[in-house]
Amino acid sequence: MRELKPWLTLILRRPGRLVVGGLLILATLLSGIGLLAVSGWFITETALVGLLLAAGVAATINLYVPGGAIRMFAVSRTVFRYMERVYNHDTVLRLLTDIRVALFQRLSGASRVRRGELSGAQWLSRLTNDVDALDTLYLRLIAPAALAGLVTLLVVALSAVLFDVSTAMQVGVVLIIALVIATISVYLRTWRQVARQSDRQEALRTAVIEHIEGFSELTAAGRTGKHAAWLMRQAHQVNSDQAKADTRIGWHLAGSHLLVNLSAVLALWSGFTLFQTDQVSGPVLVLLPIALLGLAEVYVMLPDAFGKLGATIASATRLNRDSRAEKQAPVPGTAQLPPQTALFAENITVKHTGYAPLFTRFNLQIEDGKRIGILGHSGSGKSSLADVFAGLMPSAQGNLARKDCVYLTQKTVLFEDTLRANLLLGSPEASDTELWRILELMELADRFSTEPDQLDTWLGSAGSRLSGGEARRVALARVLLNSAPLIILDEPFTGLDSETRARIAKRMDALLEGKTVISLAHGSDALPGTDRVIHLSG
Amino acid sequence: MAEPSANGGGGTSSATDQKAVKDWLAQLALGSRFWVRCAVTAGTIAGIATIIQMVLLARIVHLGVVDEVPVADLSPLFLGLVLVLVVRALGQGFQTRFAARCSEQVRREARRQLHKHWQSTGPVELGQTSAGTLAREWIDHVEALHGYFARFLPQMTLSMIVPALILVLVFWLDWLAGIFLVLSAPLIPLFMALVGMGAEKLNQQHFETISRLSGQFLDKVRGLTTLQLFGQTAGAAELIRIRSDHYRRVTMKTLRVAFLSSAVLEFFASVAIAVIAIYIGFGLLGYITYGPSEDLTLFSGLLILLLAPEFFQPLRTLSQHYHDRAAAMGAGTEILERLKSSVNVESVADKAPIEGAEDQIELRSVSKSFRSDQSVLRDLTLTIRKGDVIALTGPSGGGKSTLLHLLAGFLAPDAGEIHLFGQAPGSFRFGWLGQKGFLVHGTWADNLRLTTPDASDIAIKTALRNVGLGSLLDSRQQGIHSPVSEAGQGLSGGQARRLSLARIFLADYDLILLDEPTAGLDSDSEVFVLEALHKLSMAGKTLIFSTHHQALLTLANRVLLITDGEVRDA
Repeated sequence: MRELKPWLTLILRRPGRLVVGGLLILATLLSGIGLLAVSGWFITETALVGLLLAAGVAATINLYVPGGAIRMFAVSRTVFRYMERVYNHDTVLRLLTDIRVALFQRLSGASRVRRGELSGAQWLSRLTNDVDALDTLYLRLIAPAALAGLVTLLVVALSAVLFDVSTAMQVGVVLIIALVIATISVYLRTWRQVARQSDRQEALRTAVIEHIEGFSELTAAGRTGKHAAWLMRQAHQVNSDQAKADTRIGWHLAGSHLLVNLSAVLALWSGFTLFQTDQVSGPVLVLLPIALLGLAEVYVMLPDAFGKLGATIASATRLNRDSRAEKQAPVPGTAQLPPQTALFAENITVKHTGYAPLFTRFNLQIEDGKRIGILGHSGSGKSSLADVFAGLMPSAQGNLARKDCVYLTQKTVLFEDTLRANLLLGSPEASDTELWRILELMELADRFSTEPDQLDTWLGSAGSRLSGGEARRVALARVLLNSAPLIILDEPFTGLDSETRARIAKRMDALLEGKTVISLAHGSDALPGTDRVIHLSG
Repeated sequence: MAEPSANGGGGTSSATDQKAVKDWLAQLALGSRFWVRCAVTAGTIAGIATIIQMVLLARIVHLGVVDEVPVADLSPLFLGLVLVLVVRALGQGFQTRFAARCSEQVRREARRQLHKHWQSTGPVELGQTSAGTLAREWIDHVEALHGYFARFLPQMTLSMIVPALILVLVFWLDWLAGIFLVLSAPLIPLFMALVGMGAEKLNQQHFETISRLSGQFLDKVRGLTTLQLFGQTAGAAELIRIRSDHYRRVTMKTLRVAFLSSAVLEFFASVAIAVIAIYIGFGLLGYITYGPSEDLTLFSGLLILLLAPEFFQPLRTLSQHYHDRAAAMGAGTEILERLKSSVNVESVADKAPIEGAEDQIELRSVSKSFRSDQSVLRDLTLTIRKGDVIALTGPSGGGKSTLLHLLAGFLAPDAGEIHLFGQAPGSFRFGWLGQKGFLVHGTWADNLRLTTPDASDIAIKTALRNVGLGSLLDSRQQGIHSPVSEAGQGLSGGQARRLSLARIFLADYDLILLDEPTAGLDSDSEVFVLEALHKLSMAGKTLIFSTHHQALLTLANRVLLITDGEVRDA
């Protein structure tokens, strides 16, 4: 439950909406119970009066109040139900926004290593299934449970008023047991199955993707059948866990339903004793059991919601884990930046946690305006070195100081947004003229000036509407727009042919006049102009 | 802003598609009809128990209130009531249990069908679809069938049986009250259509909104590092808030309409109860002088009132589960599309035994085309001796890969025969190295045992050293029993391909087919791959690979140039 706390706090930030939504649900439930209970009362009353009239006894009955109440409840049940659904779904969507924004803010302060560990499919499941589990927490779980408790109290109080306290006590005890069976008991009986459901499904997804990626090799080795049988067994395990939880939810629903019905039987039984001693009238005797029968509708939502609570908590746990704030790594000494220097690294150690260091005692001093090239084959750790320079990864030891920098990562990252929005990330205030100029430089101006939307051309997910080389140049353009005095470029020309590469490198030289540039690549032909080249060996 | 239109959630499928999907779902249901029937039977028993419960309740009230029977004399009826309640609960419980079993079985069957299709599609054609999409079909779309089989399908039958039983009883009690219910009965299909349309739209809208929004959200989260580098996280958070809020407003517009249709059902149910209550009340007072109302008693009146909500309940439950149907239809459409997509490979068992020399590979007049107007390989006749190292070279698109795929049995030739050492392609185990290495989550040993389950630890170590992964292995604490990728540090593309090559070393295949084994490798990996291939050729294996790489061409003892469907020795 502790895992839910941050999300509950977030949900409770809208107390007004939650209360109004809850009251609408309450009004719906009470209208439903009222409709049946008053109808039962009315029929019994008219039957008794009718018998008296038939026997020639003068009797009167007020038809207007019960008749009006029945009509009112019939209409109010519909109206409140509709209002409740619209209002509460609006609340859910608002909560979804709140949760997304909060999650994003927490993630931006969280460990980058953890973020990188998750695959795209895992992220998608986090951001849809897990977030969904939380945004419906109020509507599925909190509101129905709270209202079921409240309505139960009201009905028990009604029993005490209409019948007597001892009946109310008995009915109350039965209903509380029903409530426990429909809520806590379901949770306790299902959380183990449902909590591991999502993790297992994720593991299964990874395995299926691997199976398909290796389909040629597996086919060649004659192993697709064996491997698929293994996958089927994994899937079956996930499903049978789910079936088990479903079945348990079903039995708890049936059990709580049984108890609600039994409470009505109990009320009828004690009602008769009171009726025969003239403590209650016939119509009132009928009213209470029917109201109790109506409680079943209040309880019906609960077992399913509580059966999923285990999964909801697991979702919250995963999101909490992924967005946990970074542990403050031992901050290496930050050296004073010597004058006229853009970057100063002294005895730094580059290492991933749990691995042998990639570099130890690495020293580098770059004067303002110098162009440094760093060469190393793949796996030599040059990207990790760039990460350390840019501050994405702490250096394990040593001193590092640098001026403000902008960093083109080895991986091209573009957003599902317009070209303009993607470029403006580099320099939010840049004018259209500046954007076109940089596109010109990257030989992309022609590519986009022919697009109907020009700068507003939509770049699909991860820039999927562009070729690899085009996407790389957009990412490079974005970095070049930034005004930081130090520029770090990791494999800036990936996906470009050598002629384009040479032309762009030449034009970049002019643009980067006066700035300090560190470029990293696997070969010297993949570097822009440099004053000095460092070879990494490792 | 020039946002592209959302690519939809199955809303574009035509009527015939819908029918095909329905047929497919029905066929799946047929496969586990035993459990469907069990669920429906249990539900019907619960329904009958509910009716008896109401009869007993009304009877007890009538006897106690009107006939003033002492409560002690009513105890047998009370006992019966409790018994019926227990039966009702058992019926409800067993209904979910059976339904869960049904869904379990159906999903297994759907997965089996999909996998069978993968196998007959073959690796080449399968590679056209992203692994993520196929995995989504196999996992999520099959899961989406759950609600339909576990909830909607039994409820659909029940929503006809139970109201019909109630209707018969009400007619018998008071035909006029029965007519009130019947009047709403022709409206029921109308409700259903209304509710259905609403739910369908709701589901589609929900699906589109969610996928669109989460797509953009996912995009921002995955690019978070970039946003941080440019100091733009606050702006991005604001953008997420604005977009999400915009979608809320759009969605709410649809929801307001969609919820109206279920409100109609709710309204009719409430009004029917109210009308019946007032009719019975006036009838009991003797105010209504026509029709059967004179015969109304407290028993019959109360019973009709108690049964009225139960008449509508199955339908309301069904409408709550309607989205399960919509979800299953959506998922079913995509699964069926996959199952209907073309199949390329006949299964090995279908192939007649082929005669041919056991020490050579023979192709006799083999042709293969993908489009009718353009053949990739034309009338190819070729003999390759056992132990040869063959390089296939030529321009891209010339047919190198196709020839490899034919030899592997991943594709079937349009015409001609292929004999591999006297056997049909694909009928025996061989080594295959694609352009992308293949590794699974797990240890080095797991990865190598995937294709050779009984390999010894020593053999695995040797195989890994043979492809130059020895030093990497030494840096891992538990050697071959340590996970391949640790702490998010995966293998590079070259290392992954070498891992795949290690499997081939381990398995000791006679024939090894390799598709551009050195393309896109860094120089280190390239050296190791070349060395490994050399070792394999020295061991007398038959190697056939496509390549442009000079060093590999030198390794071969025969180079075949493939251009425009023709193959000749270079």
